[in-house]
Amino acid sequence: MPEIVLDGVGKTFSGHTQAVEDLSITIPDGSFTTFLGPSGCGKTTTLRMIAGLDSPTAGEIRIGDTVAFSMQKGLFLEPAERDLGLVFQSYALWPHFTVAKNITFGLELRSLNKKEIDERLEQIAVALRIDDLLDRYTSELSGGQQQRVAIARVLVMQPSVLLLDEPLSNLDATLRMEMRAELKRLHRETGATIIYVTHDQIEALTMSTHIALMRFGVLQQFAPPLDIYENPCNEFAADFLGSPRINFLEVQINDGLVVWGDLRFSISKSLAVQPRKNIRLGLRAEEFFLSRARVPGSVQGTVTTVLPTGADWFYQVQVNDQMLTIRQNGSELFKCDETVYVEARPDSVKLFDEFEQAVI
Amino acid sequence: MLLAIRGWRIYLTPERILSTLFIAILGFLVIVPLFLMIQETFVVHPLERFQIPGSKVGEYTLSHWYRFFLSDSAYAFFYRPLINTLVISFGLSFLALAIGGTLAWLVVRTDIPFKNAISNWAIVPYILPSWTLALAWLSLFKNDRIGGEQGIFAALTGVETADWFAYGLFPITVTLALHYFPFAFLLIGGALRNIDAQLEESAALLGATRFTIIRRIIVPLVLPSIMATFLLTFARGLGTFGTPAFLGGPVREFVLSTSLYANLIGQRPGLGYLAAVVMIGIGMLVLYMDHKMVGARKSFVTVTGKGARANLIDLGKWRWWVTGLIMFFLFSVIAVPLLALAIDTVMLIPGIYAWDNLTLHYWIGEASYSIGLGTGEAGILQNSQLLSALGNTFTLAFVVAIITGIIGVLVGYAIVKRRGTFISKCLDQMSFLPYLIPSIALGATLLAMFAVPRGPIPSLHGTFLLLVIVCSISSLPYAVKAGISAMRQIGNELEEAAVMVGASWWTRMRRILIPIQKSTYFAGMLLPFISVTRELSLVILLVTPTTQLATTISLMYTDRGWYPYTNGMVFLLTIIVVVCTVASRRLMGTSIAKGLGG
Repeated sequence: MPEIVLDGVGKTFSGHTQAVEDLSITIPDGSFTTFLGPSGCGKTTTLRMIAGLDSPTAGEIRIGDTVAFSMQKGLFLEPAERDLGLVFQSYALWPHFTVAKNITFGLELRSLNKKEIDERLEQIAVALRIDDLLDRYTSELSGGQQQRVAIARVLVMQPSVLLLDEPLSNLDATLRMEMRAELKRLHRETGATIIYVTHDQIEALTMSTHIALMRFGVLQQFAPPLDIYENPCNEFAADFLGSPRINFLEVQINDGLVVWGDLRFSISKSLAVQPRKNIRLGLRAEEFFLSRARVPGSVQGTVTTVLPTGADWFYQVQVNDQMLTIRQNGSELFKCDETVYVEARPDSVKLFDEFEQAVI
Repeated sequence: MLLAIRGWRIYLTPERILSTLFIAILGFLVIVPLFLMIQETFVVHPLERFQIPGSKVGEYTLSHWYRFFLSDSAYAFFYRPLINTLVISFGLSFLALAIGGTLAWLVVRTDIPFKNAISNWAIVPYILPSWTLALAWLSLFKNDRIGGEQGIFAALTGVETADWFAYGLFPITVTLALHYFPFAFLLIGGALRNIDAQLEESAALLGATRFTIIRRIIVPLVLPSIMATFLLTFARGLGTFGTPAFLGGPVREFVLSTSLYANLIGQRPGLGYLAAVVMIGIGMLVLYMDHKMVGARKSFVTVTGKGARANLIDLGKWRWWVTGLIMFFLFSVIAVPLLALAIDTVMLIPGIYAWDNLTLHYWIGEASYSIGLGTGEAGILQNSQLLSALGNTFTLAFVVAIITGIIGVLVGYAIVKRRGTFISKCLDQMSFLPYLIPSIALGATLLAMFAVPRGPIPSLHGTFLLLVIVCSISSLPYAVKAGISAMRQIGNELEEAAVMVGASWWTRMRRILIPIQKSTYFAGMLLPFISVTRELSLVILLVTPTTQLATTISLMYTDRGWYPYTNGMVFLLTIIVVVCTVASRRLMGTSIAKGLGG
């Protein structure tokens, strides 16, 4: 299974729109790498360039030892020559073929003999639990079944890299959960390098081994999911990952102490070498702690909204003219308009300078 | 940007090659002839050197322009035909809208029975050649004051029809409206059907009355379709030739198309070309108006589309009366004309409707100078000239349908794949252009182009190939429209999925793109087939004795007053076309309405 290297890849559409800018990234062999970002961030374009459906206007793409595209050397490998499979967002199942024909069409083009085609079909159909659907037309299938057929169609070609373009966005919530688990299992069983595109940060966090976070065609951060979650490289990364959204506070740092009104907590001296202005602190909802009694370092606030979700309760708390979103597990419950005291207990300190970049 | 070795593969995609190729071909076959034709309006032609004192053949002159627009005879050459053309076009558009719109409203929004049957039959008048009705009108209503015999009506009732009723602008307008109302029926019906009932229900909840809803909600929503229909029928009216030729000819009432024809094949080709230029100019104006007025708002009805259907209006006791009226109307415009034509073919002496005058002479008789009209022509089914013309027609229709079908797929593919680029828009507009060039003018432009050798291309005058070219160009808009809509529905990903597994472009076309939408493509081919079989104005300038078509030979026989042959040919043609349409519907599930669309 190959690693995939993008080296200074750029894509400009028809002269003016810069879709992807100077993207360099090495996608590790056997990883489940997710390209994550808001719509229009260039993630799908990147995937299509790796697949060979779009051509970059700059840079080089290598898959394993072969150069799939190089602007400088004038090299371009056809998609089918790149040994990868792509599952489309719409699944793109051919409506005039049966399920079996959809799966075997590519094998026929490779002129495999009938016996081998049948064997491979049988094998993949059993593995993806669609063996009883083979004679149906794709319009007769449910969304989840279509998804499985689309994956089978790609896997039957035995590609070393599997590309998935927002494959779960057309499914309902329950099915989506199921398919997430199934994709993760698939990754473990096949050992293929998977590149996955989504705008859903939960999907990215739950499934990937690596996340490439993109914005306006520029790579922001490339790291394992929890690394990005805990040590985001800038405010955008901090904001985009995590639900509910992270809270930003304008703080002051004095002598190893982070101060926001009455709220204060200490950090390691190395972070606070010198006092700074315009410093912003990112605090996730679960990094707060609420209590009815005043404790040292806490700030007073008022609960304005209570949102119970079962195990966790979300509170909107008005503090110092700012609304904080706070998550508590259901041990002690607060009511609307109640006065509470808010403590900060961050797992990792996320400070950002006036350019929205992380302070390290 | 130095892409050596294999880099060309990125740029030389099939859609790029196709779009460039077709722009070049269309440019050569549509744009170049237009310029040539304009040039012809400044040249002295062989027959004209006596009309223009002191001129030599091939010299440049402004006298055509002077004679056409400013001289004493300009009224006869230009202004009178222009006024007639505009009167007819406006009249027929209003009438077609009124008939088609009413019918559409009744079918879509009220509770009349037999809706399916009515919808199917209402399209038939459009399938028949437009001048079938003109010939039928003559059979029914002609009088013996102006050349020839009494019509069936006069023979049955003893009442002589008035000249204005039998010939000229009135019957031309009416018969054309009866031919084009299916346009309005389909377009407005489609728009009405797509209005989301929630739009009306929310108005009703706010307290609007039924009439207010119609006036303030439904009419404004359907207005773009009404405008589109109006401009389309108007444009068709401008270019139509057969009907004004049949109904206007006997009383020497000309429209631009017949004036063009008379000048071009007569002594004044310069004026003929000038008439063509004027017609194209008006056609362009209509296109521009369509763009300005309709273009921007076209979208509103089509975007909605989902949602529940509004409640049907209960017509109460009127329900059966209205249905009866519709049935009677459809019977009058479909069965009566065909019946009238059929009756005229079995009357030995035209105009005498008696049992002992019945004959099959005009169908199966031997050539004779003494029986009936004494034409010296064998009956239709024995007549090698007529049968070969009929054969030509169907060969031509078949070839053109195949060619335009293929071009439609390829151009549609190129346009959809390159969507959003200048090239794509350019190709889209260019392939629509022939639709707005009045067909007789299109024939004239290609005559100007290919009557003489051009570079490596020899003179194509009198060849079957020229007919194929001109009919293909004129049918292109239908085929491309079908191609575009089919390709749009398929979407890019289905093709890319095939790219991913290594299917070549040819394989993708053959195994994926064409099979998925085969019924749409077939509809796109059926329409050219039908329109070629009944084509008259387009080819009238281009046929020669060896390439006669069923339609042109019918016109020739009409000029000689041999109506039984003409009527018989048209009757035969109509039956064959209807059978083809029905058969294709049965076999392929093709609906002609799908291809029509506008």
